[in-house]
Amino acid sequence: MVSEEKRVAVRPGLTSLHWLLLVSVFVISTCGLIYELVAGTLASYLLGDSVMQFSTIIGVYLFSMGIGSWLSRYLDGNLLKWFIRIELLVGIVGGCSAPLLFVLFDYVASFRLVLYTLVGLTGILVGLEIPLLMRILENQLSFKELVSRVFTFDYIGALLASLIFPLILIPQLGLIRTSLFFGLLNIGVAGFLLYRFAETRSFRPGFTLVLAASVAILTAGFVYAEQIMSYAEGVTFQDTVIYSKSTPYQRIVLTRNNRELRLYLNGNLQFSSADEYRYHEALVHPAMQARPNAQRILVLGGGDGMAVRELLKYSSVHHIRLVDLDPGMTSLFQQNETLLKLNQRSLLSPKVQVINNDAFTWIRQDTTQYDVVIVDFPDPSNYSIGKLYSTTFYAELEKRLAPDGLVVVQSTSPYVARKSFWCIRNTLAAVGFQTIPYHTYVPSFGEWGYVLALRNHHWRVGGPLPKGLRYVNTPTIYDMLYFPPDMSEVPVEVNKLNNQVLVQSFEEEWAPYGQ
Amino acid sequence: MLIIGGGVSGLSARRWLQRLGVQDVLLVEMDAHTGGNAACGQNAVSAYPFGAHYLPVPDLRSEELLQFLRESDVITGDDANKRPIYNDYFLCHDPEERLFINGYWQEGLVPETGVPDSDKQQISRFFQLVERYKLAKGSDGLDVFAIPLDRSSTDAQFRQLDTSSFASYLDKEGFTSPYLRWYLTYCCRDDYGATLETTSAWAGIHYFASRKGQAANAGAASVLTWPQGNGFLVDQLRKQANSPIRQHLLGYDLQLNDTDGVIVKTCDVIANCTIEIKARKVIMATPQFINKHLLRTVDPERAALTGFHYAPWMVANLTISGLPQGRGLPLCWDNVLYDTASVGYITANHQDLQSGLQKVITYYKPLTDLEPDVARRAAYTTPYEQWLSHIMEELEVAHPGITPYVSQADIWIWGHGMIAPAPGFIWGAERQRAAQTLANRVFFAHSDLSGISIFEEAFYQGIRAAQEAVKVMNNG
Repeated sequence: MVSEEKRVAVRPGLTSLHWLLLVSVFVISTCGLIYELVAGTLASYLLGDSVMQFSTIIGVYLFSMGIGSWLSRYLDGNLLKWFIRIELLVGIVGGCSAPLLFVLFDYVASFRLVLYTLVGLTGILVGLEIPLLMRILENQLSFKELVSRVFTFDYIGALLASLIFPLILIPQLGLIRTSLFFGLLNIGVAGFLLYRFAETRSFRPGFTLVLAASVAILTAGFVYAEQIMSYAEGVTFQDTVIYSKSTPYQRIVLTRNNRELRLYLNGNLQFSSADEYRYHEALVHPAMQARPNAQRILVLGGGDGMAVRELLKYSSVHHIRLVDLDPGMTSLFQQNETLLKLNQRSLLSPKVQVINNDAFTWIRQDTTQYDVVIVDFPDPSNYSIGKLYSTTFYAELEKRLAPDGLVVVQSTSPYVARKSFWCIRNTLAAVGFQTIPYHTYVPSFGEWGYVLALRNHHWRVGGPLPKGLRYVNTPTIYDMLYFPPDMSEVPVEVNKLNNQVLVQSFEEEWAPYGQ
Repeated sequence: MLIIGGGVSGLSARRWLQRLGVQDVLLVEMDAHTGGNAACGQNAVSAYPFGAHYLPVPDLRSEELLQFLRESDVITGDDANKRPIYNDYFLCHDPEERLFINGYWQEGLVPETGVPDSDKQQISRFFQLVERYKLAKGSDGLDVFAIPLDRSSTDAQFRQLDTSSFASYLDKEGFTSPYLRWYLTYCCRDDYGATLETTSAWAGIHYFASRKGQAANAGAASVLTWPQGNGFLVDQLRKQANSPIRQHLLGYDLQLNDTDGVIVKTCDVIANCTIEIKARKVIMATPQFINKHLLRTVDPERAALTGFHYAPWMVANLTISGLPQGRGLPLCWDNVLYDTASVGYITANHQDLQSGLQKVITYYKPLTDLEPDVARRAAYTTPYEQWLSHIMEELEVAHPGITPYVSQADIWIWGHGMIAPAPGFIWGAERQRAAQTLANRVFFAHSDLSGISIFEEAFYQGIRAAQEAVKVMNNG
C-alpha cells in the first residue's frame, strides 16, 4: 500500500494515463466484437443458412485476429502513432462494412469473396490493437498487472457487445447504423489519444485531416442509412446494370446480358428485349386489326414507346398521344441509343405527342375523341395505381372514345393473379363496355392477360395486320381468346375508388411469387 | 330579413328562405369568408380544411339533405331500389382509415393489432349493442337515435340516458376494456371535443347509432369528403341562393323596435365604423357564446344561460414532400395514432387522384386536458414553435424522420371549437330555451341548439329557423 502511494506521488498522471488506455481497450474490444456480429448477421441475412454463416464468419474473424497479433511484431518505432493509425483504419473499414456489403451484394459477381476479405481485413486490424496496446503499457505496469487489466477490460467489452447487439442495437439502429456508429467510436478513441498525448504533436495535423474525413463519411452514412438500405434492397438483379436512375416517381434500371436487355421499374421487370415483341404485339394488334382505319390513338402509360412502335405500323394512324407520368422514362426512351433501336425511335415520330402528366387528372380535362385507346399502366400493386383500374377511371375513358372506339387494357397474369384479371374485366363491364378478354404467353413474364373493351359488339378477327409481325397473326389471335380451365372466369367484385378490391387481390395473388 | 352568421346554419337558412320565396334577405358575417367551422385554405399543393371535413352518407329519410346533395351533384342519380348513387369523386376513396397501434398501421380505427381476446369480446359486444340501438324505436314509433336529433323518439326510457355521462354508462354496462374505452374517447374527442366523462351517454351512443345511411354504390358507413373538407358544401350552400352577403360585419347589439322590427348594431371591422341595420325579422345563426353579447339587453335571461361548453382546438395543416412510415397499411384518408393527445390527421388531397408526391395533412387536436376556459387561454398564448414541436414529436413516433419533409405548417386555433353535449344538455331545458323565438321577430339557428356540432344539425337548424320566420311573416 505504501509503495503504491509513493509511486502515485512520484509519477503523477501515470494512473490517469493507463486508466484511459484501459478504457480504450474496453471500447475497442466492444467495437471488435460488434463488427464480427454485424458481419455474421448480415451474411445470414443476405445468404441464408445462419449457422453456416456465423460459424465461418467467426472462424475467419478469429483467425484474422491471430494474423493481426502475429503481424504486430513487425510494427516498431512510435507505437502510439501506429496505434492511432490502426484505430482510424478499424473505424473506417469496420464502420463501413455493413453499408458496403449491402450495396455490393447486388453488383459483385462473388459476394462471398468480398465478404470474407472485408471480415479478414477487419479481423487483422482488430488483432493488432491489443498487442500494440500492451506494448505501449509494458513499461508502466508489471506484466501480471498488465495482462490481468487488459484482458479483463477486453472480455467485459465483449460481454457488453454481445448483450447490446441483439437487445438494443439491431432493434433501435439496424445493421447499417450499428456498424457506422461503432466505426465512429473507434475514430473517437483515435481522436482522444491524438489530443490527449503530447508526443503526438508532430503528426497531429495530418492525422486530424484523416480523422475529420472519416468522421464526415461515417456520419453521412449514419444520416442516410435509410436511403442506403432502400437503395440496396431495390436493386437485386442477375445481370450487369448498364443504366440506373431515380426519378421522383420510380427507380429505372436497365440490365444487359449477352442475350437480352431488361428494364426494371422499382425492381419489377417491365420487359426483356428478347420477348417484348410478344407482349407489345399482343397488346396492340388484336385491337388495331379490328379498326384498320383508326386515326387518333391514345396511349396511357407505355413510356418505353414500344406500343407506339407497333401503332406506327398502321399508315392510317395520324396522331398518337402518349400520356406517361414520368418524364425520366419518356426522355430515356427518346435519347438512349440502345433503347431508340429497340423502340425504333417511335417517340421521336412527328405523329407522336408525348405528355408527362398523371393520367387520371389529364383525362378529366381532355376533350378529344379517340378511335383506339391502349392502356399500358404498371400492375395495380399500390393504391395510387389501383385508382387507374377503377370504374371511375374507365367511365372517364369511355367519354373519350369515338362511337366505334375501343380500349385495350393490359391486365396482369390470369394464371398467377386470376381474381385480379377477372376483376379488371368485370370493372370494365360494369361501366357498360362489351369486353373480350384474351391472353398470351410471354416467356420472361409467363402467361399474360389483356382485356378489350368496346362500346358495341363490333369486333372480329381477320382484319388486316401490318407486315413483319413476329408473333401475332390471325390464328394466333383466335388462340389467345381461349381460356383453359385454370385461368377461366371466377366471380369477383368490381374495383371502385372506394373499395380498391383489385389492389388487395393483386397483393394476395402475387405474394407467393415475391413480387 | 337579416341573417347574422355565415356558417352552415346561416347559409342553410339563406338557401331555404330563397326556396320559400322570401325577397330582401341580407346575411352578415364577421369574417372575411363564410363557412364557420367548415373554413378551409389552399396552397400550391392542395386545398385543405381547418375544421369539419366530411359528411356521412345520409339516411334516406333526410329528404331535405338529399335534395341539397342532388343539387350539388354529390348525388348523381338513383338505382332501382331508390337508393342514391353518389358521385365517385366525393365518396371517400380506399384506403380510408388506419390506426397506428403497437408499432403497426392496422386497417380501420377500432383497435385490433395486439389487442387481447377479452378486449376484443367487449368491443364486439359494444358494436352489437350499437346495432340494436340503430334499429330501436321508442314508444312513439320514432327512431331512438335520429339525425337531426330532434327527430329522435321522446321515449323517456331512452332520453334518460342523457342524464348520465358516457363514462358512467360504460362502467355500468361493464365496458372496461382500455382499448374499447380509448376508441370511444377518441370518437367523443373527434366529434364533440369532449371526453367520456364530459359527454352525455345519449350523445355517446348517438354518434354510432344514428348513422343509417344508404347508398347504391357505397356502404352504410361511407363518408363523403373533399380536399377543402366541408368548405365544398359551404360553397354549394352559398351558390344555391343569390341574396347578398356582407362580410366583415360584426353584430354586437340587438334591440327590438317599438313597432315590429329589429335594430341590429354592427361594426364594419375593415372600415372601423358602426352600421345600424333595420330588419323585420332576424335569424341569429350564431353560437351561444356570441348570442350572450348580442342579447344582453333584449333578453338577459337567454344571454345568461350557462350550459353551453366549447372545447378549444388546434388544427395544423402540414405540407409534406414525403412520409416515412413503419409497417402496415400505407397512407389513408384518416390516420390515427393510438393513445396520443391528437385525434390524428387526414390527408387533405386524398381525393385528388394525382400521383403527386406532395401531400397536405391536416392534424387535429382537441384541447380536452384542461377546463375549456383554462385550455383556451393557454392555447392563445402558446407560441407557434411550441405547437409545431408538439406536433412533430407525436408524428415522429409513427413516422420516424418525417421532420425534414415538412415544408410548410399552418396552425389554427379554434377558441370555441364546437358545442360539447355534456350530460343533461341535449334533453335539458337550456337547449330548448335557447331555440325559442324571441318576440316573434328573432329566430335562432345554430348547431349549438342541437348540442352536437355536425353539418346535418346545422343544415336542419337553418331550415327550421327559416320555416319559423316565414310562418310568422305569413301569419302577420
